[in-house]
Amino acid sequence: MNEEVYIGFESYLNNEMPTEEKIQFENRLKTDSDFNKSFALYKETTQFLGTKFSKDTVDFKQNLQSISKEYFAEKEQKETKVIAFKPWYYAVAAILVIALGIFTFTKNDPQYGDYNQHENAYFIERSDEDVNLKNAQDFFNAKEYANAVTAFEKVVDLNKPELQYFYSIALIETNKYQKAEVILETIHQGTSSFKDKAVWYLALSNLKQKKLEECKMLLKQIPSDAEDYEKAQKLLKDLE
Amino acid sequence: MSEKNLHPDQMYIDGLLQNNSSIIQSIYKKFAPKVKNYIRTNSGDDDQAQDIIQEVLITIYNQAKTNGLQLSCPFDAYFFLLCKRRWLNELKKASNKEVTLMDENVSIDESVQEMASQTEFFDDKQSLFDEMFQKLGEKCQEVLKLSFVTKTMEEVAEKLNVTYGYVRKKKSLCTGQLTEMIQQSPRFRSINY
Repeated sequence: MNEEVYIGFESYLNNEMPTEEKIQFENRLKTDSDFNKSFALYKETTQFLGTKFSKDTVDFKQNLQSISKEYFAEKEQKETKVIAFKPWYYAVAAILVIALGIFTFTKNDPQYGDYNQHENAYFIERSDEDVNLKNAQDFFNAKEYANAVTAFEKVVDLNKPELQYFYSIALIETNKYQKAEVILETIHQGTSSFKDKAVWYLALSNLKQKKLEECKMLLKQIPSDAEDYEKAQKLLKDLE
Repeated sequence: MSEKNLHPDQMYIDGLLQNNSSIIQSIYKKFAPKVKNYIRTNSGDDDQAQDIIQEVLITIYNQAKTNGLQLSCPFDAYFFLLCKRRWLNELKKASNKEVTLMDENVSIDESVQEMASQTEFFDDKQSLFDEMFQKLGEKCQEVLKLSFVTKTMEEVAEKLNVTYGYVRKKKSLCTGQLTEMIQQSPRFRSINY
């Protein structure tokens, strides 16, 4: 291309071309495809240069740079806070390791105490119906198990599985395992809704006595639709 | 593209174009973590993620400023795809070995692919222009630069201590020369104009 062509492109783009010349120029754009392509590239180059050197672009890049730095610096700070160990961190870390060790140890050696959050008894509301039963209930819920056992033993009719169930829990709590297990076994043989719960407490009774193998065997008998199934599985896992 | 195809996320494009700090910050907050995570899990680090994100945002800005950019897909997907592909190119450049990548095998929406390809096409051209500009003679570079940063050509003439006519002519010829260099470069053909 000769110089005149480029000067023509420039003045056309700047809208500085006399009308007559402009008409000629536009006609040539339509008919001469090489000319058209050259002009298109000239125009595009001008646009690129316009963006490249515009003050807006320079400002944008600067602003972007600072926002980017800020963003990444913030993230880094948060991360280095965790990584940058100061001497006293080692002490804290050591304590944490020990604590974790104790925690893991306890976890791997489950205690009866981890599981003795018994549900509350709701036999009766008023003591005028059966004083002993009301006492048993209140002592049980107050976790005064020795008193609860005494009260249960004064109850005339202890045939209901529900009453037997709470009675046996109080027995386990007071270390009267044999008695508790006989009652729980009876409940388990029955058909009441305490049937599976009885197995759970049989397992806990064994756990409390550190008879871990028996405990595990019992836990495995608890069916998956039982209320205590998840607790049983967790305990089983911890025992293994 | 008609107005109705415009995605509401166009606000991010406009925000970049307007150099709106709070929108740029929200782009970082919302979309940078995903990119960072991707680059980290694909043999990169935070510094590299920082560069990739910045380069992609500049490309988007340049396209919007030069040709206009009308987003027809979610910004999130578009931006992530651009960053991801740019990072893959970096990895390829850095090693001749095959690069194994942790890649979630999700199909990418067509409109996202299309938007990203447009931007990449623009970016290819942009880098060719930049490369050729650097090869221009010093005098040409100076005249072109001045003619775009200075308000009027009269002021450019004054600065360069030449006549207005000369500056006009020089600008035309330098731009023309630049277009010739671009046309003659092997890359020009591969970009497939």
